[in-house]
Amino acid sequence: MSETMELEAPTRPIGVYTRPKGNTGWRDWVTTVDHKKIGILYGVTAMVFFVIGGFEALLIRLQLATPNGTVLGADTYNRVFTMHGVTMVFLVIMPLAAAFANYLLPLQIGARDVAFPRLNALSFWVFLAGGLFLNMAWIVGDAPDGGWFAYAPNTGMIFSPGKGMDYYALGLQITGIASLVSAMNLIVTVLNMRAPGMTLFKMPVFTWMILVVQFLLLFAVPVITVALFLLMFDRNFGANFFNPEMGADPLLWQHLFWIFGHPEVYILILPSFGIISEVIPTFSRKPLFGYPFMVFSGIAIGFMGWGVWAHHMFVSGIGPISVAAFSVSTMFIAVPTGVKILNWLATMWGGRIRFNTPMLFAFGVVSMFTIGGLSGVTHSVAPADTQQTDTYYIVAHFHYVIFGGALLGIFAGFYFWWPKCFGHLLGEKLGKWNFWLMIIGFNMTFGPMHILGLQGMSRRINSYSPGFGFDFWNMFASVGAFVIAVGVLLFVINVVASARKARTAPPVGLDPWDARSLEWFTPNPTPAHNFDEDIEVSSLDEFWHRKYGEDENGKVVRVATAEEVCQDGSATDTHLPSPSYWPIILAAGLPFVAFGLIYTLWFCVLGGTLIFMAIYGWIFEPVDDPDGPHGHHEGHGEDESGVDEATAETVEEAPVG
Amino acid sequence: MILKSLRLERVIAPFIGGLLVLTGCAADAPLDTLDPKGPISRSIDSLADPIFLIAGLVFVIIFVASAMIWWKFRDDHSTDEFPHQVHGHFRAEIGWTIGPAVLMAVIAVFTLISHFDLNSEDRNDLVVNINGEGTSWDPEVVVVGQQWWWEFRYYFDGLDGVDLSDARNLPPADIVAANQLVIPTGSEIGLKIMSRDVIHSYWIPALNGKRDAVPGRVAPWKIEAETPGVYFGQCSEFCGLSHARMRMQTIAMDPVDFQVWVDQQMQPAAEPTDAAAMRGEAIFEGQCARCHVVNGINDGGGADLVSNAAPNLTHLMSRTTYAGGIFELYESDGSLNRPQLEAWLRNAPAEKPAYAEGRRGMPALGLSEDQIDDVVAYLLTLGASPAMDVIAATEVD
Repeated sequence: MSETMELEAPTRPIGVYTRPKGNTGWRDWVTTVDHKKIGILYGVTAMVFFVIGGFEALLIRLQLATPNGTVLGADTYNRVFTMHGVTMVFLVIMPLAAAFANYLLPLQIGARDVAFPRLNALSFWVFLAGGLFLNMAWIVGDAPDGGWFAYAPNTGMIFSPGKGMDYYALGLQITGIASLVSAMNLIVTVLNMRAPGMTLFKMPVFTWMILVVQFLLLFAVPVITVALFLLMFDRNFGANFFNPEMGADPLLWQHLFWIFGHPEVYILILPSFGIISEVIPTFSRKPLFGYPFMVFSGIAIGFMGWGVWAHHMFVSGIGPISVAAFSVSTMFIAVPTGVKILNWLATMWGGRIRFNTPMLFAFGVVSMFTIGGLSGVTHSVAPADTQQTDTYYIVAHFHYVIFGGALLGIFAGFYFWWPKCFGHLLGEKLGKWNFWLMIIGFNMTFGPMHILGLQGMSRRINSYSPGFGFDFWNMFASVGAFVIAVGVLLFVINVVASARKARTAPPVGLDPWDARSLEWFTPNPTPAHNFDEDIEVSSLDEFWHRKYGEDENGKVVRVATAEEVCQDGSATDTHLPSPSYWPIILAAGLPFVAFGLIYTLWFCVLGGTLIFMAIYGWIFEPVDDPDGPHGHHEGHGEDESGVDEATAETVEEAPVG
Repeated sequence: MILKSLRLERVIAPFIGGLLVLTGCAADAPLDTLDPKGPISRSIDSLADPIFLIAGLVFVIIFVASAMIWWKFRDDHSTDEFPHQVHGHFRAEIGWTIGPAVLMAVIAVFTLISHFDLNSEDRNDLVVNINGEGTSWDPEVVVVGQQWWWEFRYYFDGLDGVDLSDARNLPPADIVAANQLVIPTGSEIGLKIMSRDVIHSYWIPALNGKRDAVPGRVAPWKIEAETPGVYFGQCSEFCGLSHARMRMQTIAMDPVDFQVWVDQQMQPAAEPTDAAAMRGEAIFEGQCARCHVVNGINDGGGADLVSNAAPNLTHLMSRTTYAGGIFELYESDGSLNRPQLEAWLRNAPAEKPAYAEGRRGMPALGLSEDQIDDVVAYLLTLGASPAMDVIAATEVD
């Protein structure tokens, strides 16, 4: 094959380029198809957006700290809270989950990469394009002002005549492409590329939860896609999908949005459930309690998540029968969630728990999510919800779920897998400060919002008068928000400080946490090729079971050290997918199409050309570059037939032409 | 209701005491959701309180368990031995699947009973004296939300023959009020909630939960107040720029006072007599009447606004707030709050965010100071001022 390639090279048709070379520097980062680098890119990008979204949150809290606040005008305030929601949901929590999924999922199933490495790169660059495009709205001075939920007809041309909601509709459309591509990629990866012996019920719970999330994305994203298309046609092409004057019903938007939006809640929270299901057993020195029930409850949540959307619409006027049905279905989704909480508690119960920083965050998730879940039960009761909905009680509820549940879980993941990704631990002392400041600040900020909501403070108001009894707790919450900010700042300092310290310190051991799952078979940080050889899996927690056995009394005894069990990462003959220019070029075309739809269709031509070129180049991209960094390559010829390694990746990379 | 007869509220009060104490500055929290003032809101409250109790108990159980884990199962480095490796417990799993499910089923039963009760209608006709004739009135009021104020329309012949299909072109009503809904106490009042532009939500926490005003739809809802008083509300569905400044009040009067109010509202606008007010009337006809209705001056036609409507000002002075319930018309001593009203007439968009240039909200009229004085003199002739206790009770700050 390689000989043929070299011969063909001089007469290669236009648009067919060799793969990028080299694996260092920025060029490597923009062309990489390595799931680990893509995971890191996702993480870094999402954390940048986290800082932006956090800054928006601080502006909101500054404005609401005192009655009749004057920090932001009504117009700016509406844009800030809209972008805070959009950013935190679509540009922070979802991509942070994608960061962990990308980095860890192939490692947890013992695979070399995801099924479609170039598509994986495409997912990231498309997400970045969408995120930048959305935030571009700030730069042109016209950020969306209709709320992340964008209820029609307030988002129509008459009531939101600026370009903001166009940025919203098109930006989310772009990030939706990223989610869909990634969902298909990861589903194929999990279903086809597990290590020998790893049946579905020997998969780590994190992998399971990510799999459930990808299915949710696969079915939920198309719904918001349709809704956003309808909105775009209403706004840009004079359609009347949501125009009541032409007989449309604005509740159509609400149904479409929440049929997406409620599964979205589980898309946000399940990855975190997966993370702490790895962290808690490791630090409790016990296997996860009730593994099959944890898996099935996750699947049950995924299914039931489709049948509760209208609980966001209890006061919209969908009729008493519908409200009754969704009220009851919402109550019962508490059951599988409760099962999870009790299983985590049962895992810890009787353990010998090391409260390292990852465990602190995981412990925080169990407690804080419990509060969010219980307040959720209080508004599944439809009559009570008529008093609670659209008040700060709801704001409190979903921040306990998304911050207390999802985000704290993601921080648990950071501290837990940092050595896996970067070869050194994050500082424990700063980590504990990070945890305590975040959890205290979090409860100071969002705890009082329960009270404010029950006192009748509506959501999305840019100011309130004195005399409603809102003053004290708003000030208190605002102070809390800055405590959170200090906590997050400590995390950033920890990242920098520990990286600096790691330069001189001895490298972290192979198994810093005495961990349980497949990703720890590789050295830290993970080598580019992941595993030296396939791992034969015979049990859940394979890594742990190779380290420990039982003596005749049934007591756990060490049978092997991590050094004996782990691979040394020295393999050089692993075929690695070659980098590619095309994913980033394809992704770059999308914002131009979007700009074109907003301003002048000529931009669409430019964007379309880029996309077309990228697809063309992608299709005809040679299988690999003979000088590329993929090691020696014995038995190359077999690759071509697709027999060797029989990975979907090989198939995907075969040139069509 | 069963819940009520058990006096659950009293039983559980000590348990949720902490929460209630924290929220219990109810005296200065006029939107408090835990302080019902009518049978409807009370039935919500008596359903919600036990739910809070149950949630609170579960919270306590989980947190006690967590605290025990935190203290008892912490690694104290006293041993190197691994803890007993438990992989699960089938019966425990079944137990904590079925247990919560049963609990939820019980909650669901009470929820559904209460829910369908709250969505049923149980109105009795009231006798209202209209133009000297006793009229049997099925007490329903049409509530119309628009950016960023509320309109209330009373049809004393009942809503049966009233075409509610177009919120922007509703048939003439007997009384058209704004921002303050006046109801008699002791009766269930039906509401037909509509919108002229985007989605709003009508919410008087002391009297009932909220119900969205969705354009193109008519949402049935109801409220009932036990005692005379002023009950505060706030639009609670995000409706754009001045969502925060879309407030409302419900003023409940005993039936005798309500009749007095009806009699006043049924009066046509008085003809101004003094010179300034007459000049003001002329300015009003030339400028304000493009949008605002004063019965007798311009009775029909749409306003020059996206929503086709601006508040009917025939009895402006009988209200105590204006501009979406955010400004007070009177000082505490009962005199006109002149500086605020003049500022509003001078440049409304500076006082309350709106898109006047997009024909949403009151524009700056470009009136001279003399003209403003004249318009104020005219507005003062529109309607009788309310009782001092109403003025005091409707004050926000």
